[in-house]
Amino acid sequence: MTLETTTAQPVPVADWVTIAGLHKDPFPIYRRMREEAPVHWVPAVGRYMVTTYESCHLIENDQETFSANETGSLMKRAMGHSMLRKDDPEHDVDRKSYGSVLRPKAIKETWNGIFEKNSATFLDRLRAAGPGADLISEYAAPYAAENLRLIMGFHNASQEDMQRWSQTMINGTGNYADDPDVWTASKKSYDEVDDAIEEVLPYLLKNPDGSLLSGLAAMPIPMEAIRANMKMTIGGGLNEPRDVIGVAAWALMENPSQLNQVKADPALFAVAFEEAVRWVAPIGMYPRETTKETVLEGIQLPQGARLGVVIGAANRDPKVFTDPESFDINREKKPHLAFGGGNHFCAGTWVARASVAGVALPRLFGGLPNLRLDPEQAAVDAGWVFRGMTSLPVTWDK
Amino acid sequence: MTKISFHHAGGAVDVLDVDPGTSIMRAAVTNGVAGIVGECGGQAMCATCHVYVRPEYLADLPAISDDEEEMLDCTADPRDAARSRLGCQVILGNGLEDLEVDVPGSQV
Ligand code: HEM
Ligand code: FES
Repeated sequence: MTLETTTAQPVPVADWVTIAGLHKDPFPIYRRMREEAPVHWVPAVGRYMVTTYESCHLIENDQETFSANETGSLMKRAMGHSMLRKDDPEHDVDRKSYGSVLRPKAIKETWNGIFEKNSATFLDRLRAAGPGADLISEYAAPYAAENLRLIMGFHNASQEDMQRWSQTMINGTGNYADDPDVWTASKKSYDEVDDAIEEVLPYLLKNPDGSLLSGLAAMPIPMEAIRANMKMTIGGGLNEPRDVIGVAAWALMENPSQLNQVKADPALFAVAFEEAVRWVAPIGMYPRETTKETVLEGIQLPQGARLGVVIGAANRDPKVFTDPESFDINREKKPHLAFGGGNHFCAGTWVARASVAGVALPRLFGGLPNLRLDPEQAAVDAGWVFRGMTSLPVTWDK
Repeated sequence: MTKISFHHAGGAVDVLDVDPGTSIMRAAVTNGVAGIVGECGGQAMCATCHVYVRPEYLADLPAISDDEEEMLDCTADPRDAARSRLGCQVILGNGLEDLEVDVPGSQV
């Protein structure tokens, strides 16, 4: 310990980082930070941002030093205290309450058929909108929302409700500016979700299905935990599949030789999916808090330090990935951190893989001949805590 | 102490003495054994702790649970009907004092 404290470096400050810069394109910023030090205090963000693969990986496997139960968490205010902000053993109880619903066997037996049906529905919608349409709003977003609605068991809501709930509560989670309008919209969704749960649970008790809420209806789990976990899952299970559909489709259309490779061998959609979430992690940063003074890769951190674990930066660490800034489905396979790791490892990993790599992308490129970027309108990617395509105009041969 | 040997392609072997109660995955990850990832921290959710158990030890292993069973169909390298296990689901000790496994070529 003495050795550690005498050799540990103080935390460097990155006062040159701005939120606007991160939002537009975080990757050159991450690169400069990673080259300087594994951790920086970033005044604009109000967190210690961790940008190396090694440090992010260390943090996710040490919940005793790096707690998910953050003090003053905006997520707790926006969504309640879900499993994502608990440590074990409390976390484990909530996590186990999801049972097998999101696991491979249920996906094969129940959800894949639903993904196929929803993909067909929204591919028709994209076709009807015609060449020049936005792939995100006509296909990726409603598809991800309708899948999640059925997986969760919200038979009394629409996919549009799911999208509104997700976005408004996520905005609350990121409301560092304390904008009252953001809180109003977030609170409205919070109440609507509570009401929807209360209404649908008795229905599901009588008409059980394979959904999360149906499983929870029959379980001795406190209502407060159910409510918080459902809100977190609405916020964590919709935008990410939407964003990886957008980013993967964009990257493939920008790289025609890789697209041709994938079209010739559809098994490669799975590789393109993993490379897309490595290249642009849909969840770019998540929080942790130190429970004690500690040294991280040689940098001294105080107790109670609010960390931003920047997996979006770790996934482009040149110590692990060769030529990390480029999208390349032919790169050497290595484990990325896009789904997190350790006890909070994404519970929806296999749902995301099956719904996006197994269905959404192959049906999209198989169903619209010569699908390509619309030369008339620019594609826009944005965000850093969450990153994806905000608009992706496409065209195809009729 | 219990003993576990990880055999790598090419013949290299990592031999570890670990406390009883440690899983194969945890033994590998805490000791930096190459080729075992363990992304999900042992929840039978990621299939990146896949190992091939050497035949002479198969009879000593615990039964495969439903969670492990479905996850064994998601491994990066092909499943071996008899020898494939998730390293996080096999705990050393309690009758399993000595074990040898082959590390697959890929976990992702
Ligand atoms: C490509 C798509 C997805 C990505 C990249 C992703 C990423 C992540 C990450 C990074 C975490 C951990 C965050 C942390 O430790 O603070 C997480 C947790 C979680 N995700 Fe996902 N996710 C995706 C899709 C989904 C889907 C489709 C669902 C639900 C159907 C889902 C449900 C969850 C849940 C419930 C947790 C909390 C797990 C826990 O706290 O134990 N995710 N996800
Ligand atoms: S560590 Fe994830 S399945 Fe074993």
